[in-house]
Amino acid sequence: MMLEIKNLHARLADGREILKGVDLSVGDGEVHAIMGPNGSGKSTLAAVLAGRDGYEVTEGSVTYRDRDLFAMAADERAREGVFLAFQYPVEIPGVNNMYFLRAALNAQRRHRGEPELDAGQFLRVVRQKLKLLDMADDLLQRAVNVGFSGGEKKRNEVFQMAVLEPRLAILDETDSGLDIDALRVVARGVNGLRTPDRSIVLITHYKRLLDYIEPDHVHVLQDGRIVQSGGKELAAELERRGYGTFAEQPEVAASA
Amino acid sequence: MSAVLDFPVKPEARPYLEGFGRTNSGEPEWLSRERQRALIRFAELGFPSRRSENWRYLDLQPLQREPLLPGKSRRDVQVPAELQMDGACARLILIDGHCHGAVFRDLPQGVWLASMRQAIEERPDLVRAASCGEVDAEHPFDALNAAYFADGFVLDVAPGVVLNQPLQIIHFASASGAVHTRNVIRLGEGSRATILETYAGEGRYWRNDVLAVRLGARAELTRAVLVEEAGEAVHLAELDATLGTEARFSGFALLIGGGTVRHEASVRMTGEGAQCRLDGAFVVGDNEEANILTNVDHQVPHGETREMIKGVAAGRAHGAFQGKIIVREHAQKVDAHQLSRNLILGPRAVIDTKPELEIYADDVKCSHGASVGELDETALFYLRSRGIPDAEARHMLVEGFLREPVEEIADPALRELLLRRLARRLERLEG
Repeated sequence: MMLEIKNLHARLADGREILKGVDLSVGDGEVHAIMGPNGSGKSTLAAVLAGRDGYEVTEGSVTYRDRDLFAMAADERAREGVFLAFQYPVEIPGVNNMYFLRAALNAQRRHRGEPELDAGQFLRVVRQKLKLLDMADDLLQRAVNVGFSGGEKKRNEVFQMAVLEPRLAILDETDSGLDIDALRVVARGVNGLRTPDRSIVLITHYKRLLDYIEPDHVHVLQDGRIVQSGGKELAAELERRGYGTFAEQPEVAASA
Repeated sequence: MSAVLDFPVKPEARPYLEGFGRTNSGEPEWLSRERQRALIRFAELGFPSRRSENWRYLDLQPLQREPLLPGKSRRDVQVPAELQMDGACARLILIDGHCHGAVFRDLPQGVWLASMRQAIEERPDLVRAASCGEVDAEHPFDALNAAYFADGFVLDVAPGVVLNQPLQIIHFASASGAVHTRNVIRLGEGSRATILETYAGEGRYWRNDVLAVRLGARAELTRAVLVEEAGEAVHLAELDATLGTEARFSGFALLIGGGTVRHEASVRMTGEGAQCRLDGAFVVGDNEEANILTNVDHQVPHGETREMIKGVAAGRAHGAFQGKIIVREHAQKVDAHQLSRNLILGPRAVIDTKPELEIYADDVKCSHGASVGELDETALFYLRSRGIPDAEARHMLVEGFLREPVEEIADPALRELLLRRLARRLERLEG
């Protein structure tokens, strides 16, 4: 099993409980979509899985490929194959995109006991991935996400995913802020990375992304719990009926 | 010196009065008089007090308690090859303040590069250009330097001559004692040059370096300073530059080594439309101290100033930036911007920053910004979320932070050299 989340409770540093018992199983090679209104806990779930500071897990467990995910620091999770595509990719002035990504890939390779790639070898690896995402070469030479448009930032996330080849990719609202052309490119990139041993969790507010990346399972997250699960047809039903019908406590749906 | 003194002497200046006059015999009369005058001025001024605005962030107590006079220069000194910049068109090496020869590879006609001693013999006009004049109370070590300097370098570029490759001056110290060097760069009208000055050494010494830069109309000088002094060294350096009409000066200082390091750059715009960049960075760890001071005086209209100074402090280190920009009453249409950004690593490191604009003209564009902060946790998480271990991620962020001013340097070989030295310094910076 790729990912097994059991009764996961998590709260913010200020004590507010955001996740209130999430259960989710993701099998190898599966694509799961987690949908839900703003404030339902979608991004918190992604952050907790990636190991971001500022959240406290108070109950429950997460097993990633038969290991306790929470026993690993954020960087170790990444080296073990967990990847988070950020909803808001971070700008890092002064750090060259290529230098950054080579450091990341080499950290993984060291972890697996593989030899590191020099600049030339690395360039050959990334060239083909750039094409997959329709990205210009000069993006490699720019500082990480600095001066990138919203679409370029999201494409850069999927590009990083393509280079790092994770086992489990969590895409947090990767579709937000994308026009239809950029969405197609990003979706093509993600679809190109679907393999039988790679699982993908798509976190999204809208069904739109799922028209391009077809999920095996769709879950509705509401007020910190998964309230309904189904096949891809559930997304269409959500679009038609709205989140309100799934709400156990509809008034929380609007909170940010 | 005569035993009877008819001027007031600060107690801490006494050893310097008593130690004076054993060398520099056989110099021209005017220079001896100049030295005497400067010595008397230093005796009156003594060491700067920490109440003095220009010296409040630097602790000179150890130096004040234990006077350092010029020491004996060792003969067998090897200057580390790694200090040499590849592709320099000329290189002059000063060891313990004395010229140890120059190598000329590809120097065009109209460029005169020699030791200060040679200039005293052959080009007294150039030496006088570096005369310390009336030293104010903020610059006592300029007076001490004018009294004590043994040697230095002098660069004179004739009008219209363009140097495409950088020159390099290596200041290396090996003796324990004081090293006073006095230097001059004069660029004639429309000429252009790039120079790297590298300061390094071993042991415990006090370096006191003074440079006068005189730029003619439309002359362009890029001067980079790399300070990699020994861990116990005290490094005090002053730059005094005047810029003629539409002259351009790009000063860059990278302070990455030395127990106590102070880099002061004063630029006077005397010709209209002159431009000046003063960029730099300091990195301090352990118990190190580093100060960058800039002082730009817009005396005439249409000048432009850009400053970007970055600082990183770790351990128990202390860094400071003090930057003053003065725009005189008639200096209209001046465009000046100053930025000081600083990063503190660890709970015991301290950085002070003090931007200061004094504006007396009413039609100017002047701004400044200053910040002191810690590493951006969001950026750190982003790097870690890609598998980069915590220590390596922190290192990348610090280096990225400091690269920005270095990347402003136009000469690629010079830029790469400074980036390499910076990366090496950061390898041994505690988190």
